[in-house]
Amino acid sequence: MLSFITEILSTPSLTLGIITAIGLIVLRKSGSDIIKGTLKTIFGFIMLQQGSSIIVSSLVPFSQMFENAFHLVGVVAEDNAIAAAVQTVLGIETSFILLFSFLINIVLARITKWKYIFLTGHMMFSFAATMAITLDQMGIHGGKAILIGSSIQGVCCIIFPAAAQPFVRKVTGNDNVGFGFWGSSLVCAAGWAGGKLGNKEHSSEDINVPKKLDFLKEMSILMGIVMMVIYILTSFFVDKDVMAELTGGQNSITFSVIQASTFVVGILVLLQGVRMFLGELIPAFKGISEKIVPGAKPALDIPILYSFAPTATTIGFLCAVIGGLGATLISTMLPTVVLPSVIGLFFMGGGAGVIGNSIGGRRGAIIGGLLLGFLFQLIVALAYPIIGLEGYGIQGLWFASTDAIIVVVLMRLVGLLFGISI
Amino acid sequence: MFILTVCGMGFGTSLMMLMEIQDMAKRNGFEVEGEATDLSSSKGKACDLIVAGSEIASEISSETTVIPIYNLLDKQEFENKVLPKIREYFDAL
Repeated sequence: MLSFITEILSTPSLTLGIITAIGLIVLRKSGSDIIKGTLKTIFGFIMLQQGSSIIVSSLVPFSQMFENAFHLVGVVAEDNAIAAAVQTVLGIETSFILLFSFLINIVLARITKWKYIFLTGHMMFSFAATMAITLDQMGIHGGKAILIGSSIQGVCCIIFPAAAQPFVRKVTGNDNVGFGFWGSSLVCAAGWAGGKLGNKEHSSEDINVPKKLDFLKEMSILMGIVMMVIYILTSFFVDKDVMAELTGGQNSITFSVIQASTFVVGILVLLQGVRMFLGELIPAFKGISEKIVPGAKPALDIPILYSFAPTATTIGFLCAVIGGLGATLISTMLPTVVLPSVIGLFFMGGGAGVIGNSIGGRRGAIIGGLLLGFLFQLIVALAYPIIGLEGYGIQGLWFASTDAIIVVVLMRLVGLLFGISI
Repeated sequence: MFILTVCGMGFGTSLMMLMEIQDMAKRNGFEVEGEATDLSSSKGKACDLIVAGSEIASEISSETTVIPIYNLLDKQEFENKVLPKIREYFDAL
């Protein structure tokens, strides 16, 4: 019996299903809602894991191509894929860090003046996984890892939104909602710096962006195009026979297109899975936090900023891509080349654009975007040696969330004090 | 009543919108069901109403009414635009 329970607790999809069920029961949901919610959580999680294997399998040939072509390691910064990929070995730590960090968040919000409840689900999940990975790399596992990981995450859930709030207030004009996004520090810093160099009088919203570019707003299209270009370009530099071996005789351009598309499909499946499993968990979490913390301020995902300045969002994103490409080029001189991470550049660049515009108009948005893209990619390139992911079977991926990277670096430095080498 | 919320990015703003709509409906005495999706997954889903972020509302072509939301944080906007449609649906039953 005990081994049965342990087995269930070792299966993250089931553990999260149970957590959701408990949350829904506490909120007195109907029986059918509880069954639906629990099963959707389990299905969503398994879907996420499947998406992850698709991503990892499409990146393996790419890493080999890149290695052969440029004799460098090429890395895409994507947290969700990493988080999903380690669930088979760190699933328990991740699930419990997710749960306990949330509880610690609630307690801290209740007893301090910082009422932020971090509710951006996929980031709660990826940060928990990041904590589990970092602690695992430092030789800390199981209960100890859960304790340390949840404490750190719980505190971060309050600190980062609190630091970002002045900027959020400036953009949204109110104080009821916070910014729950592991990159908020860089987005705000870049936006602020860009804004300082700008001119508040000339708002970005007075510019008209051509409608023809609208198709780029669909993330899968954008990512598909970028990845295809990257795969195809890389294939040109690979030794003919190595290429032939990878493609099994298929034309290298066809191969590249299919592999790049497979990568995007993996992301789509993963996102659908995330949406499904969080679709039940987050409302339950939100309901619980509202009961326990009067005056709770949900700290939400970055798109809350976009509607306040949609043109600034687009400007910020486009400039972030340019800045990011600059950092990619510089990283070619380092052992690790950080390839343009479309998701990060889009979301974070857009945010930096909005904040930049709120302080310094269109020039603020432009410079904010450029700085964001450049620094975001550069930080990934510089911090890469701190955590090695090959042990988990992950190639070609690394962490993207700047705030998470900062915390991980600090953890590693503290670890040095305790004699845990990097 | 089944409401579909759509965001362009796919990371969860549609979920926030759905939660907001369901809370608002409840405050006014209605129970609505829904699903949060992204742009690609929204096509071909049967529903009574579609509520989408303004930046991608124009990308959605559907026979069902599409309501664009400009400010995701503005509860008033949801009340002004979505609540009447909910009332309409239940009145017609």
